Amino acid sequence: MKLFKKCLLAGMTALAFLGAAQVASAQETDQVGRAAYIDGVKGKKVIFVPISQGMDLNQAWVMVWQRHAARYGFTLEVRDPNGDTNAGIRAMQGAIAEKPDLIIVQNPDVQTYARLLKQAQAAGIKVLQVNMQSATQTDSYVGNDWIEMGRLEMGELAKHCTGPNAVSHKVVWLAGVQTGAANIYMRTGIDEVLKANPELQLVSDQPADYISEKARQITETVLQQHPDLCGIMGIWDNAEVGAGAAVAAAGKQDQVTIVTNGAGAATGCESIKNGLLDVIFNFNAPIQGEIAAQQISELLQHPDRKAGSEKTIFFGPITRVDKTNATGRNCWKPEDIK
Amino acid sequence: MPGSGQSNDRRLGLKASQEVVVVAISVVLFVVFSATLNNFLSQGNIIAILKNVSILGTLAVGMGFVVVGRGIDLTMVAVMVVGVAFSIWISTWGIDFTLAVICGAILVAAIGLFTGVMVAIAEVPPIFATLAIASSVYGSGRIVFASDVLYAPPDIAWLKFVGNGSVLGIPMSVVIFGAVAALMGLFLRKTRFGRLVYATGDNPNAARTTGLPTRPIIVTQYVISALIAFTAGIIMTGLVTGIDTRLYNSSLIYDVLLVVVLGGIGLSGGQGGVRNVIAGTILVGILTNGMTILNFSYTSQNLIKSVILLGALAIDAIINPRDEQTSQSGDI
Repeated sequence: MKLFKKCLLAGMTALAFLGAAQVASAQETDQVGRAAYIDGVKGKKVIFVPISQGMDLNQAWVMVWQRHAARYGFTLEVRDPNGDTNAGIRAMQGAIAEKPDLIIVQNPDVQTYARLLKQAQAAGIKVLQVNMQSATQTDSYVGNDWIEMGRLEMGELAKHCTGPNAVSHKVVWLAGVQTGAANIYMRTGIDEVLKANPELQLVSDQPADYISEKARQITETVLQQHPDLCGIMGIWDNAEVGAGAAVAAAGKQDQVTIVTNGAGAATGCESIKNGLLDVIFNFNAPIQGEIAAQQISELLQHPDRKAGSEKTIFFGPITRVDKTNATGRNCWKPEDIK
Repeated sequence: MPGSGQSNDRRLGLKASQEVVVVAISVVLFVVFSATLNNFLSQGNIIAILKNVSILGTLAVGMGFVVVGRGIDLTMVAVMVVGVAFSIWISTWGIDFTLAVICGAILVAAIGLFTGVMVAIAEVPPIFATLAIASSVYGSGRIVFASDVLYAPPDIAWLKFVGNGSVLGIPMSVVIFGAVAALMGLFLRKTRFGRLVYATGDNPNAARTTGLPTRPIIVTQYVISALIAFTAGIIMTGLVTGIDTRLYNSSLIYDVLLVVVLGGIGLSGGQGGVRNVIAGTILVGILTNGMTILNFSYTSQNLIKSVILLGALAIDAIINPRDEQTSQSGDI
């Protein structure tokens, strides 16, 4: 009996110690700053106004952000105007009226939302712009360095279409929407390369409106005029497959180099493998999404910071993808991101 | 030119003249471009012009068919992109692509049937019925497919042939456009059903009173226009390896309507035919081709296009002033 009591006492003491130790270890392993972080972002409201959620890059971003939102307890609402600028203006006005903690916006062009973004900042709402900038600079921009993109693409054509071995010096720029940020800034980069390589001859500069059939029609017409065309550069891989189809139909795949940029989706890699495209400057939308997610956390964590008081810019990665590296992370599928 | 009867002489005159104006403008542009632009007159460029308008032209044949019957089908672009996207989507489940295309055609015919029933039996004015249905069809597709751009499987021989093949040097897309136009022309002119379409379009009430089956005729028109839209979508998929559903948001449907009206098919119905559609299509084709070669900016292209189109309509209005009788049936 005495022995039993002693054992019980020892056991209880041990348990008490163990419990105390556990409490102590729980305190020690609480990651530094985590509680404050969660406290900062939890329950916050973020509204995203895209151009259209039907595009591969948009799907990648939202998948990444939803994951962050679900894990750390903030809400992300997507107000998709589906390519309609008027609907986009209404979505922006609605978002500003709701006074969320953060608005994320992908601008259809540099002017449309310029005043609305000023209004949002004046109303104390932080604004993060993704990939397509407005004339108004806000708290943060995450996306492509479009001037560099224009330089890279035209630089790629300059490699093929200058010098004594080039089939000709004729190149084509298949633009997107001429008032869009990507278009305007890429053009600056293109002009720099054209200035540095005066022998390059820009024979056509037409907008394909991000539509493959239009890209095909322009390319087909231009190829009739310039059968010795050397290179084509574009603005989105899903549109330039049309240019590739026109070049393939003319049997000039070996002669004409087609360079474009894209979100890095597997469909782009397929187009390279099918021979419709030669080079895609891949801006890897999932990684872009992660960088933007970092900005979301940053902006939500500092509610005391006045909207528009600090303006930052983050340019995402750009990888040159051709036949040799059209694999792996350069060719993501939506199901890979989930 | 086909008309619905002798009482239509005056309208026949008006329509023929508008067609003549459009053809004359096309000829003038053709001569000017041939004289001033290198390679414009080359065989390759002429084929390129035809190839570039084959989709627009095919859609316009379907639209013209409906407009002749005093209807309008604003669902065509929505039906085209959603029908083909549906086929590609179900083919990703492992269904044979050809079978998937047949399923897509059945879906499209069902949509056309529904539109026809709404117009003919529920008697919703066609412009509202088709506007609403276009929006619902595109919206449903947008929810189901997630992505805007859908790529067809890469190794379908017949689809490659539609895109890159040719018969006697003429690209398949042009051959298909020609075949659709020829069939429709014959159908409208030579068959009893075709004549009934004119009768219905010219005066629906009179047609009905005389005992013509106007409702089945209208329903059939919408089914056929939906199937023609689907055919245009298949041409596009062959040409560019995929379908871009965002085309619904573009001005394509208005371009189609423009080609029809410009060619001289009045929106009041009962007049015009496939020849008018071809005249309108060729004018737009020559204009776009010339301006692309001249490397005009987007804004100036739109401006020039609108001015020339407005000019064609103005010249027609001067040559054929409207009187009470011609404007009675009214535009929409």
